[in-house]
Amino acid sequence: MTHASARSRVPAHWLLVALPATVLLVFFVLPNALLLSASFLKSEAQQLTTQTTLDNYRFLFTRPLYLEVFLRTFVVGISVGVVDIVLGFPLAYFLVRTRSRWKGLLIALSLAPLLASVVVRTYGWYIILNRFGVANDVLLGIGIIENRIAFMPSTGAIIVGLAHALLPYTVLSIMGSLNGINPNLESAAMSLGANRIRTFFHVILPLSLPGIAGGFLLVFSIAISAYATPAILGGPATQVAATAIYSFIIQLLDWSLGAALAVVLIVSSLLLLYAAARLGARRAAL
Amino acid sequence: MPEPALRLVGIEKQYATAVAVAGIDLDVREGEFVTLLGPSGCGKTTTLALIAGFFPPTAGEIYLKGKSVVDLPSFRRDIGVVFQDYALFPHMSVAENVAFGLRMRKVAPSEIAKRVADALDLVQLKGLGERRPLQMSGGQRQRVALARALVVNPAVLLLDEPLSNLDLKLREEMRVEIVAIQRRLGITTVFVTHDQSEALVMSDRIAVMNAGRIEQLGDPADIYERPATRFVAQFIGRMNLFAGVVTPDRRVRTVDGVELAESAPPEIATGAAVHVAVRPERARLVREKPAEGLALAGTVRQVFYLGAVREFHLDLAGGERGQVEMRNDGAAARFEPGDTVWLTASFANCRVLPARS
Amino acid sequence: MSPRRSFFRWRMTSGPWALLRGVVILIYVFSLGPILITAAVSFNATNRSFFPPRGFSFRWWEKAFAPEWIDPLIFSLKLGSLTAVLGTALALPLAFALYRYRFRGREALVALTLGPLMLPTLVTGVGLLQLFQYLGWREHMGFTALLVGHVVICMPFAVRTVSISLRTLPPNVELAAASLGATRWATLRHVVFPLIKTGLVAGAVFAFIHSFTDINLSIFLARPGETPITVKILGFLEFGFAPTLAAVSVITLLVPLVLVAVVERVSGLGDFIYGERERA
Repeated sequence: MTHASARSRVPAHWLLVALPATVLLVFFVLPNALLLSASFLKSEAQQLTTQTTLDNYRFLFTRPLYLEVFLRTFVVGISVGVVDIVLGFPLAYFLVRTRSRWKGLLIALSLAPLLASVVVRTYGWYIILNRFGVANDVLLGIGIIENRIAFMPSTGAIIVGLAHALLPYTVLSIMGSLNGINPNLESAAMSLGANRIRTFFHVILPLSLPGIAGGFLLVFSIAISAYATPAILGGPATQVAATAIYSFIIQLLDWSLGAALAVVLIVSSLLLLYAAARLGARRAAL
Repeated sequence: MPEPALRLVGIEKQYATAVAVAGIDLDVREGEFVTLLGPSGCGKTTTLALIAGFFPPTAGEIYLKGKSVVDLPSFRRDIGVVFQDYALFPHMSVAENVAFGLRMRKVAPSEIAKRVADALDLVQLKGLGERRPLQMSGGQRQRVALARALVVNPAVLLLDEPLSNLDLKLREEMRVEIVAIQRRLGITTVFVTHDQSEALVMSDRIAVMNAGRIEQLGDPADIYERPATRFVAQFIGRMNLFAGVVTPDRRVRTVDGVELAESAPPEIATGAAVHVAVRPERARLVREKPAEGLALAGTVRQVFYLGAVREFHLDLAGGERGQVEMRNDGAAARFEPGDTVWLTASFANCRVLPARS
Repeated sequence: MSPRRSFFRWRMTSGPWALLRGVVILIYVFSLGPILITAAVSFNATNRSFFPPRGFSFRWWEKAFAPEWIDPLIFSLKLGSLTAVLGTALALPLAFALYRYRFRGREALVALTLGPLMLPTLVTGVGLLQLFQYLGWREHMGFTALLVGHVVICMPFAVRTVSISLRTLPPNVELAAASLGATRWATLRHVVFPLIKTGLVAGAVFAFIHSFTDINLSIFLARPGETPITVKILGFLEFGFAPTLAAVSVITLLVPLVLVAVVERVSGLGDFIYGERERA
């Protein structure tokens, strides 16, 4: 039997993946590995040395300034997640259940913001919230306020801007869950004597929980590493992790602190995404 | 004797954890219609895929028209395959689907057009060449798949459960039609199915497969009338199996002591456990113990009225159960549940099979 | 038709549903309002962001088409197109290998492929900046560095769409082609490739959009004269409001929108946004 001829060649899958895998290893894994190692190196006179140290992390976790940055980043992440679930759920429920002939268009409109850069979308909020912006004009115009208010820079403005930018993600995630719910379940619950509200809380909400949790974690993880919105709607006094990394590296040229902060960000994102994946796995098992 | 069109010698296919095909030898004559019949998981589809060259066998040789093809990839084997799900190319029209094999063989475009038209004509799809497969019914897709496999004049036509996705009525029509086309073209065909009636109606010969092996190879009447093993007896049609033993004088004695007048088959050793196999429709019920033939005492447990026939389920005196199917005439109507009866069959209608088979 | 319509009417007029509809309208206002306000403000006659706009003029739009803004826009278009082509070209063999073969290290390769989606883009940007400096490739900062970074972060999108279209290939069509005499290459060319074309196009479109709208990676790798439009806009915002920016924003918003609308009309993208379940 001479079936060996088919086996002795270089396996086809290695030929296929060689180039793309090399690109990813050199330009994705290697840079991240460099960054990880830089976070354990001492920085002197804006240059990395070869001395290993944990001082970078110690510094970040002890200075009130950076603890405040962590706290603000965390608060922004949680708030954006909550706001987007609260806004995303009714929208997703409506889009899944509506019988409107405009359904396709409505879905497209709710997802279309994903096609625009966050910079562009946040710019709209800049126009609205800045001291001489639309919000102040309107409020002055109808006489609710007498003097112009500084809505931004502020943590609140960052939350509003990010919640706006990331809303489509929760809508998509919750729609995915709701689409998987047999509409007859609602009828079944009502035929068993549950009113609309009880049906919602006992049937719809529990079944869409994976989509809600997954959407929350996804939005949370994107929000804590977002740069553009905090850069536009926040200021030096309202730094978050991403803007702090930028100023460490581009303005202060302190690679090791920037790297350490980036590593903290990576670890938190990965933990969140792992949790989201676990929820996804549970959904798949059901 | 002429060279067989297709010859399998000691074909095996092993996977890391399982053996799919455990050694198959099979000769298919030129123009013959051979069916691989067996339950799911018996290795019949794997065998077909090995003939088609979709993956190599672990051991064994495959000859097509006398030449070894075991090292050739599928596309050099000169075969035609009809898949269970038809596997039509959804992005091509019906005519393009049928033309595909000819294009791959670099046939001249003018000839392709002619042969495609002829093939569509053959499967009664004349004029539907511009349709897309997705616009067609299951039966029509089946015909396209058949035309696509036949148009290249393959050395062997391989059919993998092609009828199992059709509804009953269409399935029965297509049986007849496929056989008619196969006979007209005289094309060597290997057909895979788990449906025994399909196999009986369509085949020149049937290979009954079980656990990766061929249990019995023979024409439909052979397989039905003279099953070689207990598996074949039970897989094809229904069969009563009564336990027995070969006596020193080479007779067979059943559990309740009845001895069959005829000798046990010579290949079964004296003292070996055997089964006496009787088809329900070859057995009868009688009130009195018959003078000769197989006779087992019992009582009628249940009677099923099936229109043309009546089916009787019996509890036999030896503790076994039996079934008898009788034409629905006056005689059959006289037996009721609870009646004490004899199950009887002539020796010609009894088969003696080794118990472990 | 009539029963369906009457049911629809009933739902639309019943209390909870009407309330939900009201809430949804407000959410759409929240979601689309800022974008519409940006568009409206760009036609202002004055250099203040009055809304509703006072007066009407194209003066900011004229400025938006000056080289100062058109150059980075064209830069972004070039970068996005090249990213889409290279990203898809790399994604195709990768997705095919992952779909077709089971081999040692496959799981690791899957993780590697999805990695850029998992890690914050910003961090990859910092890492690439460090790598380029470490290697002394300062002269490659700007376009080359951006292209490399964008290909890396956009490739997962193309791998995803190509994988989806490979998984939805009808079973056995490749075997059918082989049985009809098609070599492996002919099978790829005549059967597999035409059937996954939509996935490839969708992957290229998503890669382009992701590249065109990226900011987190680009801020670290751009350099003067080789700056994507998003980085340019962000840099300008530090100097406060300029109505030109509103016009520029609207232009950069329209590019992906028009692209998606055109591609959707030609070959359909919806499948790849909602995932396989909707394909059926």
